[in-house]
Amino acid sequence: MVPLPMSHTPLRSRVRIAVAAVLLIALGYVGARPVGGVPALGGFLDPAGGVWALARSARLPERSSARIPGLSSPVEVRTDDRGVPHVFAATEDDAWRAQGYLVARDRLFQMELQRRATAGTLAEIFGERALEADRAARRRGLAWMADRNAAKGDAGSLTVRAARAYADGVNAWIDAMPRSALPLEFRLLGGRPTPWEPKHTYYLFAQMALILAYGDEALSRLRVRALVGRAAADALFPINSPIQEPIQPNGGHAPRYDFAALPPPGPPDTLADIAWRDRESIDLVLGLPPRRPGQTDAIGSNNWVVAPTRTTAGHALLAGDPHLELSLPSIWYEIHLHVEHGPDVAGVTFAGSPGVIIGFNRNVAWSFTNTGADVRDYYAETVDDLSRPSRYRVDGEWRPLERRIEVFRGTRGETLGVDTLYSTHRGPMVREGSRWVSVRWTPFEAGRPGEDFLVLDRAGSVTEWLDGWRDFVAPAQNGVVADRTGSIAIRSTGKYPVRPGSGRGDDVQDGSTSANDWRGYLPLTSYPFARDPAQGFLASANQQPVDPRLNDSYFGSNWYSPWRAMRINEILRADSGVTPESMRRYQTDPGSPRADAFVPAFLAAAGRLAAAGRADSSLRRAAALLAGWDRRYTRDNRRAVLFDRAMAALTRGVWDELVPPAERNSPGARAVAYPEEMVLLELLADSSSAWWDNGATSEVERRDDMLAAALVSGLASAERDLGPAGSDGWLWGRAHHANIFHLLRVPALSALELPVQGGPSTLSPSPGRGTHGASWRMVVELGPEVRAWGIYPGGQSGNPASPHYLDRLPGWLAGTLDPVLFPRSIEELPQPRVKSTLTLRGGP
Amino acid sequence: MRSLLAFLALSLAFAAATTLGWWAVPATAALWGALLPSVSRPALVAALAAAFGWAGWLVLDGIAGNSAFGVLAGRLSALTHLPAVVLVALTLGFAGLLAWSAAVAGWVLGTKYFGAPARRKTA
Repeated sequence: MVPLPMSHTPLRSRVRIAVAAVLLIALGYVGARPVGGVPALGGFLDPAGGVWALARSARLPERSSARIPGLSSPVEVRTDDRGVPHVFAATEDDAWRAQGYLVARDRLFQMELQRRATAGTLAEIFGERALEADRAARRRGLAWMADRNAAKGDAGSLTVRAARAYADGVNAWIDAMPRSALPLEFRLLGGRPTPWEPKHTYYLFAQMALILAYGDEALSRLRVRALVGRAAADALFPINSPIQEPIQPNGGHAPRYDFAALPPPGPPDTLADIAWRDRESIDLVLGLPPRRPGQTDAIGSNNWVVAPTRTTAGHALLAGDPHLELSLPSIWYEIHLHVEHGPDVAGVTFAGSPGVIIGFNRNVAWSFTNTGADVRDYYAETVDDLSRPSRYRVDGEWRPLERRIEVFRGTRGETLGVDTLYSTHRGPMVREGSRWVSVRWTPFEAGRPGEDFLVLDRAGSVTEWLDGWRDFVAPAQNGVVADRTGSIAIRSTGKYPVRPGSGRGDDVQDGSTSANDWRGYLPLTSYPFARDPAQGFLASANQQPVDPRLNDSYFGSNWYSPWRAMRINEILRADSGVTPESMRRYQTDPGSPRADAFVPAFLAAAGRLAAAGRADSSLRRAAALLAGWDRRYTRDNRRAVLFDRAMAALTRGVWDELVPPAERNSPGARAVAYPEEMVLLELLADSSSAWWDNGATSEVERRDDMLAAALVSGLASAERDLGPAGSDGWLWGRAHHANIFHLLRVPALSALELPVQGGPSTLSPSPGRGTHGASWRMVVELGPEVRAWGIYPGGQSGNPASPHYLDRLPGWLAGTLDPVLFPRSIEELPQPRVKSTLTLRGGP
Repeated sequence: MRSLLAFLALSLAFAAATTLGWWAVPATAALWGALLPSVSRPALVAALAAAFGWAGWLVLDGIAGNSAFGVLAGRLSALTHLPAVVLVALTLGFAGLLAWSAAVAGWVLGTKYFGAPARRKTA
């Protein structure tokens, strides 16, 4: 049969051909290109290497091998049933190479996202919508400084060696990664992982510094000063905490209350009004938005150590739980690195950081909390040309500016923008309005980021550990340590600037004179420190680190209220037979010194008003309900919600003077900043302080009026939102949740509305929207054999199909800890718990 | 029997070709359409075989992933707000339609450039 030419093809066939042609073009298009936020369907749906194939890569193969260039000898990896790799290597460099490979296998997208956030290259995967964030990141200059430090790093130094070895491992995984293992996020966004460079490890530490060494106390104080004057602002945001429960024991056996009458609100300070706007503008240029008022100790942590004299088994015990933003996958990755004749260390590290950051080895265990030191200052610079500066003046002499051109690329490599950025000897210089301002910030000066942690991994005693990070720069940390000899210690370590004048860096300084520059750093001997104290324990929870009566060096201001510190110290003072199990229990203790402080005040106020015949039925009912509260934030508690809402109402009512006048009548108006609650407690001692008066009413309110009004308001709002008092809606576990978002904030990949034990300022805090909390909990017993337990919310794998994506969540919610395997050899690993064996060899 | 074997062979070819990438599906189908398919309704057969080949991969994904496939399907369902079964149907439908349209295109091109086989039937 001779084929018919098209013109002779039957009509039906011609229609079919036309339909097929259109369909082929359409499917080819949507197969190859993303359309309207939907990823390119071809690669996405392809079951051999597309999204469905993630199911295949969700489980590690029982036995496999791979090659990493540069390995000096084979490395054996055993992954246990918790998804934790145990790396057995001949050298430290080999262990770091293997670590890079393993972390990339499990957390590749997280690594990519983190480094891009620091480098300011998010637009390359998210497009133009990320351009402003990228611009701010580049202006902040953390990556630029990290690049510079990486470039000048000594090739033989521990930092450089580790970063290079780690990068070898990451890139070995990227190069050999099967299509099926490409993380889901790359599939959704349409990108590919880019090679990992050693400097990206530096970026990671820079990013942590951004999170932990970025306080905005000066801005809060200036904003408040603008509204109520300097005296009031200094009292509301004090240098020294009115409750002294320091990290370095001060000899007291209970918190000391240094309460004083608060100065009344004063007249507005117009100079401060200009100053805060200045400072905030600079913050915004640098992409450092003010923290949301009312987020009490969201970024904070606990750690404590107990000496053998106070433990049942006679061994030192250590606990640590850093509180950070919770995410899926977790910020932490758990690993065990065993090096022949070298470190044998386990614990958690960041995805992108070689070694272990919080953990233990055969002799020592350690953990950190953030110090919250004041380490960032601004300087108004005098430049030769406002639009195109090339020099800046210091002490009458012109100095050349360092200049760099920053190019911003989009998803297809197109140029989205080009910025010219500058820096002075102090740090990056940004244009804010009609002037140029430079930033000095200790993270810029961390020349060997991460090195200290690698040294700590090797420490054989408390002494070696303390010595190992004596030069640590930023972010300043309160490190606790214990060793197998029973020694315990704590030190707040980091570079603390010594400033001229008042020693504080609230105002933007005049950069034209070097007299305003930092004079250096506090010496190590000034750091808050204690070792083997008579009390037999040491603890930190982000409170003021040292009693100013013992050491008046300036470290920072407006410290967190020490509620968590008070609670853990109270517990440890009362317990002379601590066990690992009790340490675990304390980490999620639901008790609340905050409630212990304020509930009696509410009840006393209600009682006094009732005695005076001024208590209505609502107040009596609210007081009766609150009196029935055991002051514990347990999931089945039906009173905590009332206290929380009453506290919120009290805070809003008392600090109404801190709301800008123009906003005071608008619903939902918020203060520019809220003082710490310990200041509110301080105010309670003064029943007729002017701060109690509510400016919105014609009457003059006093303390009891405000407490009663807040209690009644709390009851009304709880009943309105949650149902009748005591109903199931009032259950703490229903009214308050932890929310753990995926890195892309995709709800389908997140774990949301999780009932948790703990509330604002409890030992396992869950403030505000529940997005922050204990990101890792660890207990270590330093006996003849080190034993450890740990957990974090989420799991080891970033693959949402993996059994290790969320497997630790139930335990974390329940407050349990997993025993951590810490074998001395492969043979010591219990075989039934080994789920995967990987042999890594050198070669191409 | 011969048709069944041809169908299975074609399914296998689609499954194998997919290891190169999704684009190998239309390429294989076009080739099939162009090169002398001696079965009835070759484009439809290509569509079914492509869907069958991809279904084989999904089964493999499911077996190798164990319970992970169900977890993944659940997460994708939540992500897309579509039932998991619709997502699977979409996947197979994508392969089928791609193969059908490419097979027709292949048939047209094959007819134009190579002439038609004696037993060739309309696509």
